[in-house]
Amino acid sequence: MLLLAIAHLRHRKLRTTLSILAVGIGIAMLIVMLGLSHGMLNEVADRMQSVDAELIVLPENENVIFTAGAAFSGKYAPLIDAFEMDGRRVVKRTIGVMVDTLHMGGQQQRLFGVDRDDMNAFLGRRKIIEGRLFDADRKFGNLLDSMRNENGYYDPTRITESQEASACELVIDTRLARVGKYSVGDQITFLGRSFKIVGIVQSGVAGRVFCPIQVLQHFKNAGVPWVSLFFVQLRPQQETAASNYDERVADALSAHIKAKVELKTAYRQLMYESFSQVYIYINAASGVALVVCFLFILLTMYTMVLERTREIGILKSLGAGRMYLLRMSVIEAVIICTCGTIVGIGLAFGAKYGLESAKPLLTMTIEPKFVAIALAIGVVGGSLSAIYPGYRAANLDPVAALGFD
Amino acid sequence: MTTISDHILKVRDVHYAYHTAGVATPVLHGIDLELRRGEFVIIMGPSGCGKTTLLNIIGLMMPARSGTVELDGAEVSSLDDAGRASVRRNKLGFVFQRFNLLPVLTVEQNVSLALRLRGDQLDGQAIRILERVGLADKRHSKPNALSVGEQQRAAIARAVVRRPALLLADEPTGSLDSRNAQSVLDLLRELNASDGVTTLMITHNEHLADRADRVLFMHDGRFA
Ligand SMILES: Nc1ncnc2c1ncn2[C@@H]1O[C@H](COP(=O)(O)OP(=O)(O)OP(=O)(O)O)[C@@H](O)[C@H]1O
Ligand SMILES: [Mg+2]
Repeated sequence: MLLLAIAHLRHRKLRTTLSILAVGIGIAMLIVMLGLSHGMLNEVADRMQSVDAELIVLPENENVIFTAGAAFSGKYAPLIDAFEMDGRRVVKRTIGVMVDTLHMGGQQQRLFGVDRDDMNAFLGRRKIIEGRLFDADRKFGNLLDSMRNENGYYDPTRITESQEASACELVIDTRLARVGKYSVGDQITFLGRSFKIVGIVQSGVAGRVFCPIQVLQHFKNAGVPWVSLFFVQLRPQQETAASNYDERVADALSAHIKAKVELKTAYRQLMYESFSQVYIYINAASGVALVVCFLFILLTMYTMVLERTREIGILKSLGAGRMYLLRMSVIEAVIICTCGTIVGIGLAFGAKYGLESAKPLLTMTIEPKFVAIALAIGVVGGSLSAIYPGYRAANLDPVAALGFD
Repeated sequence: MTTISDHILKVRDVHYAYHTAGVATPVLHGIDLELRRGEFVIIMGPSGCGKTTLLNIIGLMMPARSGTVELDGAEVSSLDDAGRASVRRNKLGFVFQRFNLLPVLTVEQNVSLALRLRGDQLDGQAIRILERVGLADKRHSKPNALSVGEQQRAAIARAVVRRPALLLADEPTGSLDSRNAQSVLDLLRELNASDGVTTLMITHNEHLADRADRVLFMHDGRFA
């Protein structure tokens, strides 16, 4: 039967090739969609995991993915710092971040405004490849701190333009540097001002672009020390601490400061939840593409049945039963679809290479799971689309089929 | 003396009518026929008298409307679709006027397909039968690269490779010139003589008829 199926497929090379290609394109589309969406999310999630902190504090009803602007006033940081659970201080360090966006490397980038002294939490073991960190010696930070009153406010009009200009510094990651062909010393316009790239760090850090948090607060909030979110480092656990210690702290802290406190490790899940709507569209689009390509296979198989009516009559005269003819149709379609799926997987890897060369900021991951899903869909879809044509073949009247021209 | 098991085929009182657009056209009117094991029988008769219809009923390609067909000791006319396919696989061989080889397969593959359909081991049977019909050297050719005489010999090889209890041949020489027709008949007779292939053959060619063990004349759906 395999022999006959292969003989038939080879007999109609062009049609077989086209069918394989149709399935291949559908499958490639599925894998590329999955690969891009998962790749992008995971890349961001991985970068967030690199931050040396256990908790993320967000405004109530805010989404960690999209949050920006100044949400938390200056009173929050001391409140978090001083938070106690079971009579013990639990917070080691509270790291305020002001999130913004700027245009670099051909697209919008998330900008992390961070205090220079907090940068270690973001860098971890990653090296500064070129240049240095922004706000050397924390000159600007210290200058502002020296001017603050007891509420943390200062008079922004007393900062000179040259003091401002010297603080406008950026640190970017290697990936963005490669894509935008940036190097240390380059100027970027942001907030109507000229920012200088002073350092390039190994990629994998949470943000692709960092600047002093004081600069963002100064220009955007008239110096008011508000922040978008906090990363919270916890003190080392007590010896008897339970395994869900971080969660308990998160819940208690959340109740205490009336803000949303997420585990950093929940970030990936949060990302997937945030993009679930987008996923629906992506999956629907891939699904439609696959349905179309299996309809194509159905049509192809149906044409084959019509074309081979006489052969089916011959097979029946030789004693081929209905199941044999049904199986023959399915086997043929499964061969097409399996080849098509393999072609599609190849195309997807090609697309990954092409996309990542053309758009290096895109991350596309082809997980073994996706390949398995593609193969399953290919084989199942192929079999299903062959059933109706196979059924028609099985039910042909042998005498009429033999008389067919 | 003739015992029951001497009969490979017993057809009893078979009637058949085609129904087109609600109009019934009766074709067979009570056919009785018995074939003994190893017999070579030819059916002749005017065009449209029902020869092919009868052969298709005996070959279980269509159901008899009434009457019975007993093949190799078993009543087969009331079998379901799967049962009929099984009998076609295991007991019957067909040779048609139009050869009916599968064009996408080679000659050898056409022959071995008959064996594969039955789940048989191939172990050289296909080649041996092709040697006997004189096509061993053409076994890798596709049917349309063969002459018509060769195609019919290939079709005969495919029909007899499974050693059918009954070989049904519907005008096997109808598409052949007289020389090829003679050689095809020689082949069928040879297979009948040496292997005992019981053969029921339809032909219009009177020159072939005298080579049969028996000739039956059909007229208007009845044997004369
Ligand atoms: N599918 C069909 N539907 C309706 N009538 C049919 C059908 N097939 C055959 N007939 C009619 O049945 C009659 C017998 O046909 P059949 O093919 O058995 O004749 P035959 O003896 O084999 O003729 P020939 O020698 O020309 O092959 C003819 O009158 C024919 O027109
Ligand atoms: Mg006829």
